Amino acid sequence: MKKEGLNPVQHFRLREKETRFRTPFFFLRILLLAFFVLTPFLFRSFEVLDVILKIAIFSALVASYDVILGYTGIVSLGHVLYFGIGSYLVGIFMGKLGWTSYGHLALSFLIAIVISGILSVLIGLFSLRIRAIFFAMVTLAFMEFTFILSSQLRSITGGDDGISFKLPGILAIDFSYGKILGIEFTGRLISYYLIIIVSLILFLLMLRFVHSPVGRVLQSIRDNEQRSIALGFRTYHFQVIASSFASCIAAVTGGCFAIWVRYVSPDSSLSVPIMLDVLLMVIVGGMGTLYGGIFGATFLMVTRAFLPKLQVLIASLLPGVPLAIRLSERWLFYFGLLFILIVYFFPKGIVGTAQEIFSKRRGS
Amino acid sequence: MTSQWRSWFHKLIAVAIFLSPLLLINPKTYITITISGLAMGMLLFLVSSGFSLIFGFLSVLNLAHGALFAWGAYIGFSSFNLINQWTGWGGSNSLLLNFIIFFLALILAGLLVALLGIITERLVIRPVYGSHLFQIFITVGAMIVLEELIRIIWGPNDEVMPVPINFMGSWDLFDVVISKYPLMAIVIGFILYLVIFTILRKTKIGTIVRAGVENPEMVQVMGHNIYRYFTGVFAAGSALAAIGGGMWATFVKSIHPAMGGEIIVFALIVAIIGGLGSMTGSVVGALMVGLSYNYVAYLVPKASLGITMLLLVIILSIRPTGLFPEGT
Amino acid sequence: MEANPVSEPLLKVDEIHTFIGKHHILQGVSFEVHPGKVTVLLGRNGAGKSTTLRTIIGLLSPSRGRILLKNRPIHHLKPYEISRLGIGFVPEDRGIFNFLTVEENFRVASLQENGKTREMMETVFDIFPDLKKFWKAKAGNLSGGQKQMLAIARPLVNRNELLLIDEPSKGLAPIVIDHLIDAMKKLKEFTVIILVEQNFYMASSLGNDFYLFDDGKTVHQGQMDELVQNEELKKKYLGISG
Repeated sequence: MKKEGLNPVQHFRLREKETRFRTPFFFLRILLLAFFVLTPFLFRSFEVLDVILKIAIFSALVASYDVILGYTGIVSLGHVLYFGIGSYLVGIFMGKLGWTSYGHLALSFLIAIVISGILSVLIGLFSLRIRAIFFAMVTLAFMEFTFILSSQLRSITGGDDGISFKLPGILAIDFSYGKILGIEFTGRLISYYLIIIVSLILFLLMLRFVHSPVGRVLQSIRDNEQRSIALGFRTYHFQVIASSFASCIAAVTGGCFAIWVRYVSPDSSLSVPIMLDVLLMVIVGGMGTLYGGIFGATFLMVTRAFLPKLQVLIASLLPGVPLAIRLSERWLFYFGLLFILIVYFFPKGIVGTAQEIFSKRRGS
Repeated sequence: MTSQWRSWFHKLIAVAIFLSPLLLINPKTYITITISGLAMGMLLFLVSSGFSLIFGFLSVLNLAHGALFAWGAYIGFSSFNLINQWTGWGGSNSLLLNFIIFFLALILAGLLVALLGIITERLVIRPVYGSHLFQIFITVGAMIVLEELIRIIWGPNDEVMPVPINFMGSWDLFDVVISKYPLMAIVIGFILYLVIFTILRKTKIGTIVRAGVENPEMVQVMGHNIYRYFTGVFAAGSALAAIGGGMWATFVKSIHPAMGGEIIVFALIVAIIGGLGSMTGSVVGALMVGLSYNYVAYLVPKASLGITMLLLVIILSIRPTGLFPEGT
Repeated sequence: MEANPVSEPLLKVDEIHTFIGKHHILQGVSFEVHPGKVTVLLGRNGAGKSTTLRTIIGLLSPSRGRILLKNRPIHHLKPYEISRLGIGFVPEDRGIFNFLTVEENFRVASLQENGKTREMMETVFDIFPDLKKFWKAKAGNLSGGQKQMLAIARPLVNRNELLLIDEPSKGLAPIVIDHLIDAMKKLKEFTVIILVEQNFYMASSLGNDFYLFDDGKTVHQGQMDELVQNEELKKKYLGISG
């Protein structure tokens, strides 16, 4: 392709493609991937494996939330609903119905995706008529409602106690393939790699989506809806497409989560605190930057796993005054303060701010 | 002429719906449930009116409003116990003393939470004026901090809320059970509503606040320091939430740190149904939610939250901005 | 017009630059307003006239330049402080409170409520009798012309020395505009007016001095009766002929 014959947009895209594999960010991503793959070899502790995998799952979930919040500009407070649907479908199929075979597992995922897609379209229909902030409230109320529903319908969902279940074949806990490179390939480990691969695929899908022409239209809608409408784009259709896509991804991450913990309950898959977590992660990481999801997930998971240990340490140093003990116990308090400071000083999130600094330096 | 007929028609439908549970519940139980429903409605009004007013006037989405509700309950709890320790008025047989200690506890809760509200507004909300999105984010953080602070100061467990002796129990009138406290809550809530209404309609400050709900910029241009009004309205809204919290705690007889997060969903729904920024809307919405919740809870216990959601969906479908416009 | 000795300007706007976000809207606006005169700001859409009024009243802050009211700098003050110094503002969208009654609208406007205010209300009723008629009606129920009159009458209750009015004729029928012009002529006795107007007929009926705006700068000034004759200027900056 001759460079002179290109219009500005094509020129930009070509340059992007050429330098794609040479930027420092690319190496960072490869490193990150390598880290996920090698973790079982680097750390023998199950706890670390657990945290790392949860980071992977939630990165994908938060990234899917970022697609609608950061890239499309829709404020939904009920995204975790789809995560819950994915989890519950796996749980119900494997647990309540006892349909344990690979085929059934795959089917549960498929059905979860379909339900999530349809549901998000229906909710989207509703959003057409009401203001953005109302939509946020309605999605929150709707998720809360589903939460209560799942704790009431014991026969289907196992109520508050949830459903514990076993997984088929090579994913089962008691399965073992034998030793490879010094570690035992149990069902657990195989599930680990399965979920890492799935999360990677989801993440790549999302990257493709936001950088595709559809994704770019979405960004233009987010930035200036009126102009997009004036340019002839049926903004509503694009928003529905984006939110269906994101909800389907969330459903898959929910299914993966269920596979890993082999348990599903309203509190662990559908609750408002999980939604808050996702919100926190996307803010800390940065909206409109899918990678922010990875950072945010890491930040939250790591603090959640290790701060309590820190606080036990501190508590042992303080005198036995109840107030002082409680002050050191409630790490969530400090987290909340930290969060407020992050929103205040880094409104674009950590990754977002970093990206901004880098692009300013490159002088583009 | 047609619009007059239409408003009468709407009122008729509302009354018909209000009376419809009579088809399924016997009249005596109906009265008891109606009283609980109205009481719950009045308390919801107290919480959501603060939220609605703050949104209407400052255009601020304060999701930490629920935490202020919880703080009101806890401060009410502590002040009541403190005063009771000194004076024993809570356990006294004198109705007057019961009232005095109750109101003192509520007033203390209102004042202190108003202060807390002002601090929150200055520190947390001022920086994010203008962006609803960031208000959601930062007030979520504030809510976490405030809730954790409750856990730190009072401990993470549920506490029993003390109730003055003469408020407990009920009267039996012709076989109809009328609980004392809910009736009180209705009366107090109604009086507060009248007070708010009078301030908003008859005083100059109230008129300025109503003008500010419609057009805050213009109010500034006409010579009023709107920031002072912002702080004042925020304090008033917070105080209302606190009083609602204290009264709610007395109603359900217990308090727990997460009560803020639980009530905020209801308060949001009521505010949206009624129309953000409208006092009349808050009352109507709250009563609708309170009554429907209680009727359905009696008939089909598991569907009670569902009816609230249904109400939300129905009302937003016919009136996407809520029942009443801003500033009424 | 009588020949007045050159009096101290009531308001002096000195080379102000105003940004809205990244956009450099006002790129050097200067003019003076004298007592007893109506000063008209003319120019095409987007030339910066409304932005200038909003900067004077303090809703926008100039990044450069000064604004002096009776030789006292006011450009760094907040809108409510500037308003209290005696400047009234009637925005393009009128800014009336639709859910409040006419009476309540005036109530919000009046900074004090005393004998002087009552006197002024009588004068207001003289000039705008409809407002007395609809005193208890909700402002939102008034006609377009009446709303405009309410918007202009409201700040008068404080005996403002200076009144900023932005495009009052917008959306009004010609006969209503005539009514408005009659009323505003009577206002000249009480207050100094800065008028932003696209409607040249209205501008020329009321204006004494004028300033032409183009691209965020004041490019021309003079007496209104001269401008009416000057076809070239009218065509160049206002796009009107005849």
